[in-house]
Amino acid sequence: MATLLRPVFRRLCGLPGLQRPAAEMPLRARSDGAGPLYSHHIPTSPLQKALLAAGSAAMALYNPYRHDMVAVLGETTGHRTLKVLRDQMRRDPEGAQILQERPRISTSTLDLGKLQSLPEGSLGREYLRFLDVNRVSPDTRAPTRFVDDEELAYVIQRYREVHDMLHTLLGMPTNILGEIVVKWFEAVQTGLPMCILGAFFGPIRLGAQSLQVLVSELIPWAVQNGRRAPCVLNLYYERRWEQSLRALREELGITAPPMHVQGLA
Amino acid sequence: MAAPGSCALWSYCGRGWSWAMRGCQLLGLRSSWPGAPLSARLLSQEKRATETHFGFETVSEEEKGGKVYQVFESVAKKYDVMNDMMSLGIHRVWKDLLLWKMRPLPGTQLLDVAGGTGLAWVLGDAEELPFDDDKFDIYTIAFGIRNVTHIDQALQEAHRVLKPGGRFLCLEFSQVNNPLISRLYDLYSFQVIPVLGEVIAGDWKSYQYLVESIRKFPSQEEFKEMIEDAGFHKVTYESLTSGIVAIHSGFKL
Repeated sequence: MATLLRPVFRRLCGLPGLQRPAAEMPLRARSDGAGPLYSHHIPTSPLQKALLAAGSAAMALYNPYRHDMVAVLGETTGHRTLKVLRDQMRRDPEGAQILQERPRISTSTLDLGKLQSLPEGSLGREYLRFLDVNRVSPDTRAPTRFVDDEELAYVIQRYREVHDMLHTLLGMPTNILGEIVVKWFEAVQTGLPMCILGAFFGPIRLGAQSLQVLVSELIPWAVQNGRRAPCVLNLYYERRWEQSLRALREELGITAPPMHVQGLA
Repeated sequence: MAAPGSCALWSYCGRGWSWAMRGCQLLGLRSSWPGAPLSARLLSQEKRATETHFGFETVSEEEKGGKVYQVFESVAKKYDVMNDMMSLGIHRVWKDLLLWKMRPLPGTQLLDVAGGTGLAWVLGDAEELPFDDDKFDIYTIAFGIRNVTHIDQALQEAHRVLKPGGRFLCLEFSQVNNPLISRLYDLYSFQVIPVLGEVIAGDWKSYQYLVESIRKFPSQEEFKEMIEDAGFHKVTYESLTSGIVAIHSGFKL
């Protein structure tokens, strides 16, 4: 029995990319290519990924302030979906450029002064306003760690950094209701398991009134827009700062929300 | 040693000992930045190129102290919770056994190094203790010596500050003596513990270091020899939980 189970056991506990049977002790930084593939990468076995996925899901539900757990959940469950997203980006001209140039959105890469000077109603100006009003910074996105492919690690990083753009496009604040609406949009757009889980489990913490509004108005609106819009990961936002937000919304087919969601936005 | 709340050691005592502990003079030594003072550092300039281990990584000896410091800064907040989670509360039993072995009496001068949570504090360096010679009756170090850069120096210091007749007691992770349990233990250590660290404390790397540093620590016999080299006599050890931890004991004569 033990001999039958041994190869299964080894696969479950072995590191990705190893040719020979893996030891149960994953070692760090090995010369056979099982070491880190990019900065911050932590190689993990299938068993570790499963445990991380379960643990992070439970912790995120238990303590909604653990945003890092939502990120971990996304990384450990998203491999297949990220491949699909990456392939789809390759097929789109703007998306392919993003994959090639790998732009990042952070306070070090953004020219905040320039964005401030842009006209009212432009994407750049409105994005900056969103950051100010909601008191968020693009630097709070943690780096990817548990994705075992360097290009896919970028894709999920890009998805995370684009999240604030989606808030701006959809006109949703960063309170729990606004986040759930954006999650529904993202779930339809990306198909990432973490977005789907977040979309369904997020509402657990809502009161009856918010829940009613969410289900009857906001979710249908988010889903409709998510379906209609082309993939939002294919937009090179950094080249569109001057574009008017209204024009961009029209281009994507994003309509005004059915009501103003109370919040800071 | 770690424990919740103040008057910490009381909670670890077996029922019979709680009254005995009250009379003891307890001092906890929390390891400060484990670097040597400037003068000592100038003397050891030739040794700068010396390398040592930090878990499974190789680092310079100079670096190790700082890296260990960072690990413990990071884990400090959730130290007790994580210990309970990782060992399923068994660490309390181990610490209880250490205390039982000690059998401290009223008036015993006890120094607990790498104290963790609880106790009254003195800040210092295990490799260079801020105490005079021949001061303490008992020197304990629980889950601390593994992280010291120069274990031999810490042992020598322990010897120095103990009174003649004084006892050295160390509770530390050790080598498992049973092959089946060893495999299960390795599996648990490497597959589960860093995940627990990430989920509970948001810190994978510190707990990866933890399980790696355990593998790097000498075996029961090797550590016994090191303690003897530092001048201790009647050195013995007792393995607990199949050797996952061991309590080493020695006397200064």
